[in-house]
Amino acid sequence: MTASHARRIGSVLGLLVAWQLLIQTGKLSELFLPAPLSVLATMWDMTRSGQLPWAVLVSLNRVVQGFVYGAAAGVFLGLLAGAVAWIEDLLDPWVAAVYPIPKSALFPLFLLWFGLGDPSKIATIAIGVLFLVLVNTMAGVKSINPVLLKAARDLGAGRLQVFSKVILPGALPSIFTGLRLGAGMALILVFITEIEATKAGLGFLLWEAFQLLDTKQVFAGVVTFGLLGVASTWLLQWLERVGCPWIQRSN
Amino acid sequence: MLLALRDVGKVWLITRTGERVSALESITLDVAPGEFLILLGPSGCGKSTLLQIIAGLEAPSSGEIRFSSVTPGAATARGASTARGASKGPPSGKLTSMVFQDYALFPWRTVMGNIVFGPEVRRVPRALREDRARRLIELVNLKGAEHRYPHELSGGMRQRVALARALANDPQIVLFDEPLAALDAQTRRVLQDELLRIWGETGKTFVYVTHSLQEAVLLGSRIVLMTAHPGRIKLLVDVPLARPRHLTGRAEAEMLDRLDAELTEEVKRAMAT
Repeated sequence: MTASHARRIGSVLGLLVAWQLLIQTGKLSELFLPAPLSVLATMWDMTRSGQLPWAVLVSLNRVVQGFVYGAAAGVFLGLLAGAVAWIEDLLDPWVAAVYPIPKSALFPLFLLWFGLGDPSKIATIAIGVLFLVLVNTMAGVKSINPVLLKAARDLGAGRLQVFSKVILPGALPSIFTGLRLGAGMALILVFITEIEATKAGLGFLLWEAFQLLDTKQVFAGVVTFGLLGVASTWLLQWLERVGCPWIQRSN
Repeated sequence: MLLALRDVGKVWLITRTGERVSALESITLDVAPGEFLILLGPSGCGKSTLLQIIAGLEAPSSGEIRFSSVTPGAATARGASTARGASKGPPSGKLTSMVFQDYALFPWRTVMGNIVFGPEVRRVPRALREDRARRLIELVNLKGAEHRYPHELSGGMRQRVALARALANDPQIVLFDEPLAALDAQTRRVLQDELLRIWGETGKTFVYVTHSLQEAVLLGSRIVLMTAHPGRIKLLVDVPLARPRHLTGRAEAEMLDRLDAELTEEVKRAMAT
């Protein structure tokens, strides 16, 4: 273990212990800030009762569906727009117009269109993911060194082969950047869409706990969201390592 | 003749100003099978453009390019479409292949993956193309590096991969666009010798762009000296010197002096305009 590792672990443990002690000595109320051990105990209870796993499952279903639809559309459109000039012309004004809109602002609209159920939430998440993936995919295609396209043509590649053997792998690192950003966006949007007009999900659980002033459950929800974020990052990093083994990485 | 250029010209249109710039003018040149032809000239003389036109990557604005295959059926569909009068043949062979200055290797493909690219897109069966690639890897001294990615290679090794990749399509002419310009002097010396060895072993025709006089005299069997603005052929020089050549040898020094005088005059003229 290096000194750097020791400092990192020390930082986390030190803060948690100080936090725990602050509450046990009565300096802070658990209503305001529950102790780490109480949060753990609450999470354990909520897991045993099935409340937390169910909430996670409901939210994950929305996140995964929205992410997959949005990412698939984003990669497809991004590759097309990056490779074919006239498709970019058709798409570009819409990207410029919709990209800056906070996608949570579209949720009320989707509620009107798709109703109170899952589709409105999935659509909001999908739109949020789509634009991040689309913009990054297009940037990835544009970043490909033109001499590589020339070399492929010189070696006898046709248009489709240039697309599948040069443009797609060339854009892949940027696509993964888009997917990572999209995963973060999906978690933000699932929380926002679960505050209102729903009776299940991690966001709903967290918001309801807040309204009941059950700070321990609020914390349990926050920590669970954090764990989901970490898990999705790990999963995407692993996919990127498998999908782009040629990328130079430090350590 | 393997390749005949007749009165080839290239005009660039500068979109911003609407100006027309003549990059190449009335290039007439015959390339003989098996020769090591050097295109030598100052920067801006259009020698890279000429190479791209021969490769079919740029269309000439005027003039004509004719390929005639020596070995029957070595012309390709693409070559035939850019070159009038070329014969059609099986898709295994290819007329020209380019070695780019900055290697232009696919970073997501290993050494092996890069070399098989040409045969792969031409649908040569896997076993066959990998077998050919392995022989080329031996030819260019890259054994043991088959599964490395380009970023794990030195500049000299990258250029060997680029050469093997160009040879994998079994072209009649290998086109080189200042392939050693980015390398250090020592590596360049080694690779110059290797190029000569590979040229001898494969019997291919090499057309080689450089701005280095020394390189031209060391490598070429014939030198085309070009002028800038517009790019024209100023002089065709046979280099009948025996190999191996040494820049310190008397005949080599005389050849260098002669070309140096011509080239200096050209550079001065180019700088004055």
